[in-house]
Amino acid sequence: METIRLRTSHLWFLLVIVAITMAIMEYGGPQEEKGTFLLTIVFWAGILQGAIAVVAVTDLIEARWIDALREKLLSLYPLLYFLLILFLIFIPRAGVFPWTAHPGAWLNETFFIIRNILLLLAACLAARFFARAALRRDSGTKRWAVIYLFIFVASQSLVAFDWVMSLEYPWISTLFGAFFFVEALYGGLAMAGILFFSEPRPDASFPVKAAPRDIGLLLFGFSVLWGGLFFAQFLLIWYGHLPEEISFISERINSPLYRALGYAFLAFNFFIPFLVMISRKAKGQAGVVAAVSGVILTGIFIERIFYIGPALSLNEGAAFFQTVLMFTAVLAFVNNRNEFLSRLAGKDAA
Amino acid sequence: MNKTDPIEARERFESDVLSVMGRPGFRYFAALGFCAFLVTLGFGLWGWQIFRGVGVAGISHPVGWGVYITNFVFWVGIAHSGTLISAVLFLFRAKFRTSFNRAAEAMTVFALMVAGLFPLIHLGRVWIFYYLLPYPNQRLLWPNFRSPLIWDVFAVTTYMIVSLVFFYVGMIPDLAVARRRLKGFASRIFAILSLGWNGSLGQWRHYNKLYIFLAAFATPLVASVHSIVSWDFAVSIVPGWHTTIFAPYFVAGAILSGTAMVITLVWPMQRILKLENYITTDHFEAIAKILLLTSLIVSYSYIVETGFAFYGEHPFEAEQFRYRSFGDYAVLYWVMIFCNSLLPLTLFVRRLRRSLPYLFVLSLLVNVGMWIERFVIIVNSLARDYDPYAWGTYTPSPVEIGITLMSFGLFFLLYLIFLKVLPILSITELKEHHG
Repeated sequence: METIRLRTSHLWFLLVIVAITMAIMEYGGPQEEKGTFLLTIVFWAGILQGAIAVVAVTDLIEARWIDALREKLLSLYPLLYFLLILFLIFIPRAGVFPWTAHPGAWLNETFFIIRNILLLLAACLAARFFARAALRRDSGTKRWAVIYLFIFVASQSLVAFDWVMSLEYPWISTLFGAFFFVEALYGGLAMAGILFFSEPRPDASFPVKAAPRDIGLLLFGFSVLWGGLFFAQFLLIWYGHLPEEISFISERINSPLYRALGYAFLAFNFFIPFLVMISRKAKGQAGVVAAVSGVILTGIFIERIFYIGPALSLNEGAAFFQTVLMFTAVLAFVNNRNEFLSRLAGKDAA
Repeated sequence: MNKTDPIEARERFESDVLSVMGRPGFRYFAALGFCAFLVTLGFGLWGWQIFRGVGVAGISHPVGWGVYITNFVFWVGIAHSGTLISAVLFLFRAKFRTSFNRAAEAMTVFALMVAGLFPLIHLGRVWIFYYLLPYPNQRLLWPNFRSPLIWDVFAVTTYMIVSLVFFYVGMIPDLAVARRRLKGFASRIFAILSLGWNGSLGQWRHYNKLYIFLAAFATPLVASVHSIVSWDFAVSIVPGWHTTIFAPYFVAGAILSGTAMVITLVWPMQRILKLENYITTDHFEAIAKILLLTSLIVSYSYIVETGFAFYGEHPFEAEQFRYRSFGDYAVLYWVMIFCNSLLPLTLFVRRLRRSLPYLFVLSLLVNVGMWIERFVIIVNSLARDYDPYAWGTYTPSPVEIGITLMSFGLFFLLYLIFLKVLPILSITELKEHHG
């Protein structure tokens, strides 16, 4: 099958179109559903930052299987700039957070916007420098990997605490930030599983069969970790049974729709990957790993709906369309990565 | 490691590792005697406590959990890195584990033995400790399964059994080597312990399958045991305890203290037993990186916990964290921050990471910090609960201090005995990786 080849300038033009479309969808139509755009940026912030973090972690521990996927995953780094633009588009919507009516020292609109812009920008820059070092395999790779991971953890924690948890202010869960950055890594790994299947030729001279097996093993491990963290969080809230804590859960599981979504993401993020990936045979097949990866990404998306939906209403059609647009952008960047990645790797090398 | 003839290298691995089991010298007996003295003292004090009642300890209302529970959590934490190094690093195919795994597994078993004593020491009537177990009985005395203390019994017992099996199974081929190379009574003992191991292909096939299964089985246990220990505190609604991050935070803290204890034990062992060829600076550096990573996770937890105490409207949480930082035990709190969060940051400097004396001192301080961390969490929250009428402070009594010293004495006593009776490095894996 012939793939459409786009130049880097065309890719940026594509992003401009996607951004304008999303802005029109958010602000151009009826203003009843205010959570859809937030849902999109929360979900894609995790997946995109997580995909780069997967490369950073594997480079740091010198895992060799990433050789087959390094370029594909790093080709997502320009989308982190796009994420920053999406956040800028979201800023007029900041009034949806309940705390804006009674701003405090930490939760006030100005500080919220400044800290989030700074962290998203820092993530873009660190990802760029890391990607450049990793592509050149130079000595600074590990240093940039550590810097990126620090910013990744801070940024995802802020996504959890600022963008999602504060929707239900004053509800708190101290594990929420760690849960989000682990989930972002899980999502990044799932993205790796899909990208490997989409073009199963390795970038370097590397045995092709090794990658799906290693991705499958890690997905299995992450499903257990995810299950453990989910349980650790849920158990304490359920056991404590304090009105100010339990309200977050009871509001959701008392609605038939959100209860069903709750069961769905539990199955998609834990039971299905755990049961399928436990099989040695399944882990060796790129198709199965990609299918499970798709299930995991769907699970994470449903989980985001579960968190955001009851606080802000969502438009299902817009959410679906925005996801398709973002996924198209991801595939466009991955499939047309050669030009901008070689420019990035060779810029200072000459 | 020098490149030599493989047969010769294998011979050397066997003789070098087994030579450690030779006749001990004066210094060894002196260390053994000192540890035995601490153990005798501690058990004597425990006997005194049983005779007079728990009133001889400093724990009283409102601080009912003092250094006994601090010691329990500390030693369970120490027990963690044995399985981490052995099982998790085995699954991740990290070769440097070969240098540490036997010492770390032994450490796990001994630390669990010590940890297991403390709930018993803490009990008023230790002779009915078996009430904790769900044994069939006619009096319908069932333990309260909703209590995390019962979960502890199950979790720690399971971890103990799996760790023992993992330790023993991994040692079987080495026990057969000891059977072959040692003479007399020792050879006969190792003949029984090695369970008829003859190194046939069939035996190796089963061994490898069992070992990877046990590694995979033990790995989630590492997380579950300390998660459950954390829930001893977190399922309550006490300020400073009831927080969802406790489980991963305790697991990371346990691994932090465990890796520090590995360095504390292995560096002197490397120096005194002249094992520099087998336990190299690179290996220490790898362990130091795990220590740094877990320290960062612990620091993240400190920041999040403290930050959220002042978020929203939680006056009791806010007061608890203000009290921790500036109250009666503030010095301990800041020592904890220094030892667990600030000092390990120096490991970002490669030169310090590779300096073994520096790592040794750092590991001692991290262990001090981790012991203090448990004390800070336990005592502060009980001393400053909701109702000012029930506030109070706690000072450990000489009996509690003596029993705490006993725990260290017992741990090091068991470790010293291990050095002389079992192969301290995995000969099989040395042959596999270097031979």
